Amino acid sequence: MTSATQIEAEVEAEVEVARPRARRINGEGIVELLALPVLVVIVFLGYLWWRDSAHLDAIESSSLNWAAVRVQTWQHIRLTLVSAAIVVWVAVPLGIALTRRGLRRAAPVVVAVANAGQAAPSIGLIVLLFIWLPSWSGFWVSVLALTLYGVLPVLRNTITGLQGVDPDLVEAARGIGMSAPSTLRRVELPLALPVIMSGVRTSLVLIVGTATLATFVGGGGLGETLNTGITLFRFSVMVSAALLVALLALVVEWFGRVLELVLRPRGI
Amino acid sequence: MTSTNTVADETPATAAGSVSGAEIRLDGVTKRYPGQREPAVGELSLTIPAGEIVMFVGPSGCGKTTSLKMINRLIEPTSGSITIDGEDIRKQSADDLRRQIGYVIQGGSLFPHMTVGRNIALVPRLLGWDRAETRQRVDDLLDLVGLDPDAYRDRYPRELSGGQQQRVGVARGLAADPPVILMDEPFGAVDPITRQRLQDELLAIQRELHKTIVCVTHDIDEAIKLGDRILILKEHAEIAQYDTPDAILAAPADEFVEDFVGSGAALKQLSLSRVTDVELSRRTTARVGELTSEVILRAQENGDNAVVILDERNRAVAWRFLRQLRRHEKVVGGDRESLVTVDQRATLNDALDTMLVSGHGGAIVCGDRDRYLGVIDFHAVTDFIEQVGEA
Amino acid sequence: MWDFVRDRRAEIFYDAWQHTYLVVLAVVAATVVAVAIAVIVTRIPRLAAPANALSAIGLTIPALALVGLLLPVLALGSTLAFVAVAFYAVMPVLRNAVVGLQGVDATLLESARGMGMGELATLARIRIPLAWPVILAGVRTSTQMSMGIAAIASYALGPGLGGFIFTGLAQNGGKNAMNYALVGTIGIVVMALILDGLLLALGRATISKGVR
Repeated sequence: MTSATQIEAEVEAEVEVARPRARRINGEGIVELLALPVLVVIVFLGYLWWRDSAHLDAIESSSLNWAAVRVQTWQHIRLTLVSAAIVVWVAVPLGIALTRRGLRRAAPVVVAVANAGQAAPSIGLIVLLFIWLPSWSGFWVSVLALTLYGVLPVLRNTITGLQGVDPDLVEAARGIGMSAPSTLRRVELPLALPVIMSGVRTSLVLIVGTATLATFVGGGGLGETLNTGITLFRFSVMVSAALLVALLALVVEWFGRVLELVLRPRGI
Repeated sequence: MTSTNTVADETPATAAGSVSGAEIRLDGVTKRYPGQREPAVGELSLTIPAGEIVMFVGPSGCGKTTSLKMINRLIEPTSGSITIDGEDIRKQSADDLRRQIGYVIQGGSLFPHMTVGRNIALVPRLLGWDRAETRQRVDDLLDLVGLDPDAYRDRYPRELSGGQQQRVGVARGLAADPPVILMDEPFGAVDPITRQRLQDELLAIQRELHKTIVCVTHDIDEAIKLGDRILILKEHAEIAQYDTPDAILAAPADEFVEDFVGSGAALKQLSLSRVTDVELSRRTTARVGELTSEVILRAQENGDNAVVILDERNRAVAWRFLRQLRRHEKVVGGDRESLVTVDQRATLNDALDTMLVSGHGGAIVCGDRDRYLGVIDFHAVTDFIEQVGEA
Repeated sequence: MWDFVRDRRAEIFYDAWQHTYLVVLAVVAATVVAVAIAVIVTRIPRLAAPANALSAIGLTIPALALVGLLLPVLALGSTLAFVAVAFYAVMPVLRNAVVGLQGVDATLLESARGMGMGELATLARIRIPLAWPVILAGVRTSTQMSMGIAAIASYALGPGLGGFIFTGLAQNGGKNAMNYALVGTIGIVVMALILDGLLLALGRATISKGVR
């Protein structure tokens, strides 16, 4: 009778096994997630302490004065958010369109072109646009360049994400009577969302980093102080600006990760 | 689409009450794919009576799944027509049609990002049922498929085992109370024990509801067990035989059918006889909470060495030996899920399988909603087979 | 624009060559470092998470910021450019190398050990060749990225076509501003595509047919 009781025990075990409750993130995950902001805050406080106690000459103090830095930080954030918003607005619908029956064949071509475009150096793109569009403000030229740069990761991931949805699920949705737009909205997009958000995160990081170059075309941003430091050869200014930019970039990246986590549908 | 109330004769499925299924008629249905010389489905014509389970079986690639999918227009026929309850299915939009047909596929295909409750509620909500109605329906259906509504309503599919997911899939198919249900290998993705349970569950549900169910399977034994009629298809969906399981086993139409059904037709007869054909024995039962000492006394008077434990709804929750009972002062409940039982409409084949697993030399028999009916003994089965052999 | 190119042909080729040479050198150095780190990380799995975290942080630091951080330490010129480019080049290769090495089927490694292969031999003859396609994909990404970063490093007087771009910027409004910027940008794109093609060919040549 051992085999019979063994089978019964297995059946029991299979049913009672604690299949984990579907949570977005567990205890360890939260600790990991909070590690970065804590680190950033510590470094920033360290910077403030240095700034207070350091001996800066006239030029350095004027470059690093808080009003200017605050304005530039805000410009930098604006550049990032505006560009990111436009990227999502353009790349996601385009990605959706390229996975629908009509345009499916065009998808690899479009992605290949975008890929080739990525080979263009960011500084080259910004400068070219600047020279080519003299009537545009520095801000908008930068936004255009950042948007062009940020489209590829989101486009590619939207396509991959949608293609990765189990076709059986799509068939099940149509099979029980959901219309095509409804299936897209309620089944395909939610299931593709993790991959799409990963692309948005990559794009955000790309954009915030490239936004440092906006200074070269008058777009503002923390790159300005950095540039001042380099041209005037003041190390403290250079390092300060570099540090602040790096911290901002890390915060934006962290924000992207949080967004990814929050928007991920439960149960996946 | 109105549901029919005709009671077809001969088939046992409709004997117990009114039919809520609808008749399906296929007329010269053909499906040709561009670039292929032979059609995938060639001029298929048949009538599926209302309220019956018809199993589509055949070798891989014979067109059974294609034929199934043409009924809810997931695949459009190249020529021919299909009517449900007399109406051509092309009259309404495909989306509207599908909302009136249940669709259950292998693995359940539950949407992982929605809870069990929301998955089941999908079609009713699409049809505009109000929230209260829908919620009640979801709970009723979960109960019908043997899952505790309070425990499972808000869980996500990935928290469920394969068998549980499949049950939810069936519940989803039944949600809007459609007259027709299409199933594509619904029990293929689970282990044999769970598959038997799910098959029993389907038979029990059909006893209550009498839907028209069209089910594709590659397993001839499953077809014999579940089907009121079996459609055996050859290549290009050519009909080899379309008849009741009895008729097919007694008189296979040609060599193809003989081969497909397999040898040992005599043993296959085990698959035709149901548990209810055999007399069930009564064993000592006890309710959760009774004093163990009293129960043991009762059992010893009856000459039983084990007791079937029932809950408030007369469902069997455990089958314990006396020495196990003695460990507690009062009778303790058990996990219904882990108790192996067999449905009253299950085949003797299943009964023997279950007996091997139960460890008691017999199997607990359940009726509607898992109610305890009795125990089927090994001796009873062997006696029955001898009688049938002598007949 | 073509007259412009013709007139400055020598200068353009020279800068293009310098640019490419810098990137190739940096990527090669970065690959060696990255693979070495990856090997260590796969030996000590606990280091995997911090390694990935550091890699992610490294990639987040904007290129210009890195230049700013390095300037106090290194002088303007090619050394700084090399270090900056190499720093970023490590990240994609490291990430891919870790994934690639960890992705080698454990049963294969066990067979190798069972046959008597030592650690180093297993590494050289099994793990790296099997992880190579993934590593190479990382190298391709790294190379493309590095072409762009080298352009930024030109700001700190690094060699290469970036110089053309900055000249164009400085001369904005002038007759040749657009030409300078265009030549710089397109030149980099062309060289990037050529390098990518070469890497693809390298892949074809070095990845055994059984793995492709």
